[in-house]
Amino acid sequence: MTHLLRMIVEPGFFGNAPVRVALLAGGVVALVSGVVGMFTVLRGQAFAGHALADIGATGGSGAFLAGINPLWGFVGIGVVAAGIMEMIGIRRPRGRDVATGIVLGAGLGLAALFLYWDATFSNTTGATISVLFGSMFVISGSTAGVIVVFSLLALTVVGLLYRPLLLSSVSTDMATVRGVPVRITGLLYLLAMAVAVSLAALTIGAILSTALLVGPAATALRLTSKTGLAVLWSGLIGIAATWLGILLAYDSFYWPPAQHGWPVSFFVVTLVFVFYLLAQLPAVGRLSGARARRARNGG
Amino acid sequence: MSPRPGSGAAAIGMLATVLLATACSAGPSPAATADSANVIVAVGAENQYANVISQIGGKYVQATAVESNPNTDPHTFEASPSVASAIGRAQLIVQNGVGYDAFMNKIEGATPNPARKVIIVQSLLGLPDSTPNPHLWYKPSTMPAVAKALAGDLSALQPAHAAYFRARQRAFDRSLRPWYRAIAQFRTAFPGTPVATTEPVGDYMLQAAGTRNLTPFSFQSDIMNGVDPAPQDVALQDSFFSGHKVKAFVYNQQVTDSLTQSFLGAARRYGIPVVGVYETMPAHYDYQSWMLAEVQALRRAVTSRISTEKL
Repeated sequence: MTHLLRMIVEPGFFGNAPVRVALLAGGVVALVSGVVGMFTVLRGQAFAGHALADIGATGGSGAFLAGINPLWGFVGIGVVAAGIMEMIGIRRPRGRDVATGIVLGAGLGLAALFLYWDATFSNTTGATISVLFGSMFVISGSTAGVIVVFSLLALTVVGLLYRPLLLSSVSTDMATVRGVPVRITGLLYLLAMAVAVSLAALTIGAILSTALLVGPAATALRLTSKTGLAVLWSGLIGIAATWLGILLAYDSFYWPPAQHGWPVSFFVVTLVFVFYLLAQLPAVGRLSGARARRARNGG
Repeated sequence: MSPRPGSGAAAIGMLATVLLATACSAGPSPAATADSANVIVAVGAENQYANVISQIGGKYVQATAVESNPNTDPHTFEASPSVASAIGRAQLIVQNGVGYDAFMNKIEGATPNPARKVIIVQSLLGLPDSTPNPHLWYKPSTMPAVAKALAGDLSALQPAHAAYFRARQRAFDRSLRPWYRAIAQFRTAFPGTPVATTEPVGDYMLQAAGTRNLTPFSFQSDIMNGVDPAPQDVALQDSFFSGHKVKAFVYNQQVTDSLTQSFLGAARRYGIPVVGVYETMPAHYDYQSWMLAEVQALRRAVTSRISTEKL
């Protein structure tokens, strides 16, 4: 038994400082993404979430250029982009994707410029890969502290808005009738989502953070129809994918090609996808069962 | 207002015309014959090579460098149109090879010139493409070979000045001796000195000086290639500083990020002297004085625990 455990958890895993910070920061970020992501799925705002995450690349690459902590770049640009999206009409379902797409395109154009400057005028070789695919194992302790603070902020916003958010996610008209300030609720939620994907950009990367936002929530909604329970599941699934991903990335150091670990964001995102597929199994089983019954009855 | 099909076709036609006109006007520019003042136009992909070109070619060569900004990382450099035109004009080019300045090959391919002489240092030293460490200028045997090839190519371009180029090549070789002596002295005085590095930049010189580089090559190449190193390697590197296992930390000043800076902080905290190394020649040096300064900095670190973070 001990032998098996040693095979799975390579020696030194918990004693490794970068791993401990990754477990803390990655876990907290996964929890926030899972909880915030539940409403992203319920409100049908996956594209907005993805756009906010991608635009994080603009802030991250700009931060590298300015020589400041990328965290501030990710969060800063996310909040600004969320504000612009809201201003040019994300609340109208018809114009929503257009508003999102316009801001996304402009943001990524700036990212292209910043990443070019990072490579040509500034000594930041790792910027591109770090911004796009994250760097969970090189988060400093102080950055992890800031991540926890921002996470608590986003969780508080979603916690306070829980009822009105749920109501306006189901039906805007009904929410308005019940006196919910729909627009301000939507804006605050958009900001919380911007913070969530910005933090995930630090751990698994700007272009992969959608996976943690949408994947665990979609999986959770497969497991239960109770929203409260689904929120809990979503957070737990995100944490599980992240922690398992960190473990696999640590172990992969001993896989070929020797002495080069595989990227941790690959494992996290793949696990999110695998969990989603696994959650489909009961439904597939029910479907094939129904088919079999139909076939029997018909035959 | 609904778009009329006719107007769409007309617009596409206009666009096509504009594109065609642009393509025609962007044809080959007149090849500049640059020996107007009897000066050979040369380009060094990195400024250390341009410096050696100038030293061998003297008054008959005008050498420019593509890479000279100490704040950029040549590994990820992207060429601009002005660089392309400089390379297009050049009669003689020196580039490193081993994928370090692959952008040079692209531009040379785009501006073909059969008369242009290209010295690829990698081929000169007979190194395979799979050579893990591309920072060849820190290798003591590299520049004499480059100088020799340069004297040959310059003499072929201007046979009348062959004796001049050969004399300057011999003078260059002589001027490297203080560096060689410093390396040999370090090697005998401090054999097997343990050091840590961020990148393999100075590794050839560290080998020549007989040091033991404790940092795993996987870690060095990860930093060099801009990917995050494995947590195991990070923890190992940390232990070199906290356990005082190394006598010097050889730090690449041109490739820094939060991780390498955290190691710099750890080295300072634990009193490990830092030696800055460079991808391109720092200002106020020539090649020989730069290399000598690096060995002297290493010696100061080991003998008097003095950091030379920047040359």
